[in-house]
Amino acid sequence: MVYVVVVYDVQADRTHLLLNFLRQYLTHVQNSVFEGDVTEGDLETIENRLDSLLEPDESTIIYEVSSEKLLDRSVFGEDPTEDRRFL
Amino acid sequence: MDRNYHVFSDGRLERNNDTVRLVTEDGEKKYLPVENAEALFVHGQVDYNTRLMSFLDDHGVAMHVFGWGDYYSGSIMPKRGQTSGQTLVEQVRAYDDPERRLGLARKFVAGSIHNMRTNVKYYDNRGHDFASIVETLEDCRGNLDEADDVDEAMGVEATARRAYYSIFDAILPEGFVFGGRQYNPPNNEVNSLISFGNSLVYANVVSAIRATALDPAVSYLHEPGERRYSLALDIAELFKPLLTDRLIFRLVNRGQLSTDEFETELNSCLLTESGRKTFSKAFEETLEETVEHPNLKRKVSYQYLLRLEAYKLKKHLLTGENYEPFERWW
Repeated sequence: MVYVVVVYDVQADRTHLLLNFLRQYLTHVQNSVFEGDVTEGDLETIENRLDSLLEPDESTIIYEVSSEKLLDRSVFGEDPTEDRRFL
Repeated sequence: MDRNYHVFSDGRLERNNDTVRLVTEDGEKKYLPVENAEALFVHGQVDYNTRLMSFLDDHGVAMHVFGWGDYYSGSIMPKRGQTSGQTLVEQVRAYDDPERRLGLARKFVAGSIHNMRTNVKYYDNRGHDFASIVETLEDCRGNLDEADDVDEAMGVEATARRAYYSIFDAILPEGFVFGGRQYNPPNNEVNSLISFGNSLVYANVVSAIRATALDPAVSYLHEPGERRYSLALDIAELFKPLLTDRLIFRLVNRGQLSTDEFETELNSCLLTESGRKTFSKAFEETLEETVEHPNLKRKVSYQYLLRLEAYKLKKHLLTGENYEPFERWW
């Protein structure tokens, strides 16, 4: 498992494409920001799909850590990942 | 690791843009990433349609439904990914051979007694005097070898469990009175926690068995009955002391669950929604805890231990390799 933070910057009318795709794997934390645990295999699927979705002048960045524990994460205000498994 | 998701809100579960979405009654939309889901535990009142069912089926995600009273009310399982006529035949053969069935029944009881004893010893070392209970459990384990049939093995397990439950009142803080196991419905706070916790263990074992080609209805210690997954009862027996009981002691003794988290009605006592949430959350954290596995030489989660148990049993049935039940080794 890998812990990833994915951020993307695409044309406003195309954000839903990435949003809908990433929701299958990760937690939507802020506009254009997702994070969560994925397997190596899923990460590759995500990378390939994101790559093929992008148009010129658009970009996405994936930050990877080998475990969530290694990530020093501070949240101010409400944490959108809180209770993500309890709906 | 695949995750369990718990739905406490009332609303509608639906397929939306290739993932699962919950629309709560006040219109709030929550998404859950289907790609890393193992099972949905539904505690609230939800509507869903066949489109969601086929979608969950495609992703191999089970839905365990919890209702009032005795909690677990059933599962909607994806169609079998694993089928093997050979496994089923061997599973039934072992059931049909009294010697082999008794052998397996004894293993489940032995493992379960061992895991109860671990809990008793833990508290014996922490200011309680449970030496006599440890002794009773050891006697039970000795008597197990003399059990001539499955009913007797079941009787030994009942004696052990009664002795084991007698320590609960000493461990639990003031305000929590146990006084023996009661269910259908649970009559006090402690019994309601045990019922709820055990139903979570049971549902997770159902998921674990599903990952193998074993048939959940063919069991050894419990009599294969109608309308229940009795093999899940056999395997759950091993894990209740580790997963349910330790968690109850921890939550209650640390004051994370108080008596305010229960609703008492005539003859029954049940957790409130917020109490169930607190418990489920801590339960999921427990499932994620890991321990170094001596044979696999790597860290495995408690949840994975459930699956390993199903694999070990399957291997025993197919190859005759000795089945050693899960006994807490740390």
